[in-house]
Amino acid sequence: MRKNLFITITALLLVGLMAVPAFAQETVLDFVWFSDGVEGEVLKDIIDDYQEENPDVEFNIIEVPYNELNTKIKTMVAGGNPPDLARVSNPGELSSALLNLNDSIGQDYLDNFVESTHPYVMVDGEMLAVPIDVTANGIIYNKDYFEAAGIDVPDTEEELDDLWTWEEWANALEKVVEESNARYGLAYDYSPHRWSTLLYQAGGSFFSKDWSEVTINSPEGERAVEFFVELHDRNIIPESIWLGGENPNTLFRSGLTAMHFAGNWMLTNYRDNIENFDWGVAYMPKGKIRSSVVGGKFVAGFKDSDNKEAAVDFLKYFSSQKVNAKFCEESLFLSARTDNSKLNYSFGSDMFEIFSNELAVSPPEAGSDWAYNEAMSRIYDDIRQNVVKSIQKEITPKEAVENIEELAESEIEDMEN
Amino acid sequence: MNNKVKNILWYVILLSFSLIFVLPIIWIFISSLKTSNEIFSWPPTILPNEVTFSNYITAFSKGNFVTYFKNSIFVAVTATALTLLINSMAGYALAKFDFKGNKVIFFLFIATLMIPLQVIMVPIFIVLRNLGLYNSLWGIIIPPAATPTGVFLVRQYMTTIPDEVLESARIDGASEWRIFSMIILPLSKPVLTALTIFSFMWRWNDFLWPFVVLSTESKYTIQVAIANFVGQFSVDWNSLLAMNIVAMIPVLLVFLFFQRYFVKGIAMSGMKM
Amino acid sequence: MYRWKKKIAPYLFVLPNLIIFGIFIVFPALFGFYVSFTEWDVLTSPEFIGLGNFIKLFQSAEFWTILSRTLIYVFSVVPITFGLSMVLAIILDRNIKAKGFFRAIFYLPTMLSFIVIGVSWRWILGNNFGILNYLLDLAGMAPVNWLTNATTATIMVIFATVWARVGYFMVMFIAGLQGIPGVYYEAAKIDGASKWQQFRHITFPLLKPTSLVVVVLSTIQAFKMFGLIKVMTTGGPGDSTTYLVQEIYQQAFQVGDMGYASAMSVMLFLILGLLTIVQFKVSNRGGNAYE
Repeated sequence: MRKNLFITITALLLVGLMAVPAFAQETVLDFVWFSDGVEGEVLKDIIDDYQEENPDVEFNIIEVPYNELNTKIKTMVAGGNPPDLARVSNPGELSSALLNLNDSIGQDYLDNFVESTHPYVMVDGEMLAVPIDVTANGIIYNKDYFEAAGIDVPDTEEELDDLWTWEEWANALEKVVEESNARYGLAYDYSPHRWSTLLYQAGGSFFSKDWSEVTINSPEGERAVEFFVELHDRNIIPESIWLGGENPNTLFRSGLTAMHFAGNWMLTNYRDNIENFDWGVAYMPKGKIRSSVVGGKFVAGFKDSDNKEAAVDFLKYFSSQKVNAKFCEESLFLSARTDNSKLNYSFGSDMFEIFSNELAVSPPEAGSDWAYNEAMSRIYDDIRQNVVKSIQKEITPKEAVENIEELAESEIEDMEN
Repeated sequence: MNNKVKNILWYVILLSFSLIFVLPIIWIFISSLKTSNEIFSWPPTILPNEVTFSNYITAFSKGNFVTYFKNSIFVAVTATALTLLINSMAGYALAKFDFKGNKVIFFLFIATLMIPLQVIMVPIFIVLRNLGLYNSLWGIIIPPAATPTGVFLVRQYMTTIPDEVLESARIDGASEWRIFSMIILPLSKPVLTALTIFSFMWRWNDFLWPFVVLSTESKYTIQVAIANFVGQFSVDWNSLLAMNIVAMIPVLLVFLFFQRYFVKGIAMSGMKM
Repeated sequence: MYRWKKKIAPYLFVLPNLIIFGIFIVFPALFGFYVSFTEWDVLTSPEFIGLGNFIKLFQSAEFWTILSRTLIYVFSVVPITFGLSMVLAIILDRNIKAKGFFRAIFYLPTMLSFIVIGVSWRWILGNNFGILNYLLDLAGMAPVNWLTNATTATIMVIFATVWARVGYFMVMFIAGLQGIPGVYYEAAKIDGASKWQQFRHITFPLLKPTSLVVVVLSTIQAFKMFGLIKVMTTGGPGDSTTYLVQEIYQQAFQVGDMGYASAMSVMLFLILGLLTIVQFKVSNRGGNAYE
């Protein structure tokens, strides 16, 4: 009995070992993808259209959770089995594995895309990916609460001339808590990326535009930390988010906070999930200047892939004006293409317009800082720690920006060795 | 009389203590029956205002969960059978034979537990690929089957089996395999039961490993599929909760079915030492 | 004839396990050891830099802070888990009603993935949205800042870890208890030994092999606890619940410094190895009951 079991298992193992996958005739493109909303479904539609013209190309879509995207791609590459295409949020993280598109697509192609995406795509003079959509940080607010408090929220272009300042914004948020059922003024994402919006509004940045200098240790940088701490001190932002990891989406959705500092990616989520109150998008306040932070999604090919030609062909197709318009419209994304800046969204066109306007006035550093991935990934957690320590009053805002500067400089030195 | 009161008191203590363990899980379950809006409403409701199975329906309609379930069952069952066989063999050798290298091999097994999977994942992946096990269910069955925990557990248990039992069998001329399969294994039922329960759960709940090895949707296991509910900016909590409740059921059934084999072996309870 | 067979048999028995081990664990581990002496971003080839990573490690104040924090966490989790799982196993090994039901309840949290456990506790303990503070509020009590205060957050992480692991080790103890011959207890009863004396002189010493498994494994598991904490507190508030493996993972895949991550893993390996040896020595002191 036991012996039979042993033999069976051994046989099974041998069969398993020999079952090497057969080589197919068609080209199969392995495409690593992640989804927040419906974009995975839209991609499948687009692939179907593509296959009508290219029946010999098959796609194997490898869907992964965003947190594990790097783990998956890096193991595949290190194991000598890179995917053919991947959707990434920062090509710089994978630069040594990505396919240089300078010859096959050409840098001129980038002229079709908004400028803030260029530093993400161009790494050491090589074009490593194609921009697809962009994201903008911004604020979403509970209309019912602000109406109850009798506060007018700037959400039209006419109101831009007399936009609220940081101080007026903070006072408004305090007043909303007094005059409505909101328990807190603002839910602010636990993310250095979102915090940096204040940094740019204050007129500061992490690095100079050409990445040659660390610029965070400045009066502007200090002011951005200080104001963020003040928002916590005045209990406008509940400390449970930055200190306890409480989910800001939940706080806003449940009506506990009057406003959510997030970005355009929340629109579909809130459209599908909020029934109990009216909500909208507002213009962010201005500090020294106005600013949002640009982010984006890109699709890249891989230099060791077996199907480079087919991959490039699909990259061109996927980023072409018509296909890109379809993708962004149906997924409710802001397009990275300049000629797709006005799209026909089935929902919230006015809100998308606010986000695009915010992007349009953002300084170049708001893009170049975050495209400087090699340094950013090393100090990302330290930025967060230092802001948190300032909220906890363990250090002063001045010390926070000094610490970040020191860390950034030593990491950059480390990188260069 | 006094005894009865004492007994009841014990039950009350045990019951209230078990509440700490079960209440959070009941909370997850109840939440999974609420609409998404009710889950995120304030003030929270304890019981759902209206019971809905929509979370389950949405979760199941995203992708091919029947396939994922089949894959998970296949992996968990096959890997458990393999683990039981090779771990009990190794544990037996380490517990009952005084051979050269015994201690070294034993500590080697335990030592590998101390390495975080994250840092050796890439080299394991390269090995797998060269053996043609990449993107194959066997690639997630074979490598983790030689569990150090299992070997350790079995070895420790088998040291408690008296040597006389083996010696008398050897004098009777039984082969080593026969001694192992006919005497040692039946005597080790409790520890093999524990290992069955564990191994099934380990393989069923494995995420990182299958995630790295599998690259075709039709081969995904349930945990790999569940993880995809997490995006960059948003998490589909409703589907995540619902799928986790469903994914727990097989593990629970395996536990309930096997835990009854935690009984003293006849030879052990009646043995004179 | 049987002597020869007895000599070769143990090797054959251990072989299948050893082969899989050698190929899939030992070889990659050696490679990982080599990586700790290199600079490697995973995507390109590793570059040998000698002891560079270790020097960086020893000079990093952050590493030592994280290490001491990890030790506090581990040495809180292990004794509580050990004691609790043993007591539960002994209670649920007795002839009580519905013991299968109770065993299942304590084992339930073990069945959940760490992600779900982390999410659930964060959800329950949230300052504003958490059900626990809501219930406290209903009962007229002041809310507690469960996860926003470094001390309470550490305590809650320890609590959640114990909650998640007790059932697992309880099952090991239940299995171990079956190996203790019942005649011992009968003899002790005849001698008029109290319950405590039975535990002290029969159960505890005869459970030693299993106890060793539980201590060693719970220590290793606590050191490697990753997903639960990552989801429950994301290492916060600040970095007050960031432990060694979180840092290793962060360096390996977020920062992309696999060499440094491997060097930290080598340190982790050495610490765990040392602890395990100590645990074996302590367990063997006074002689093993069976060897």
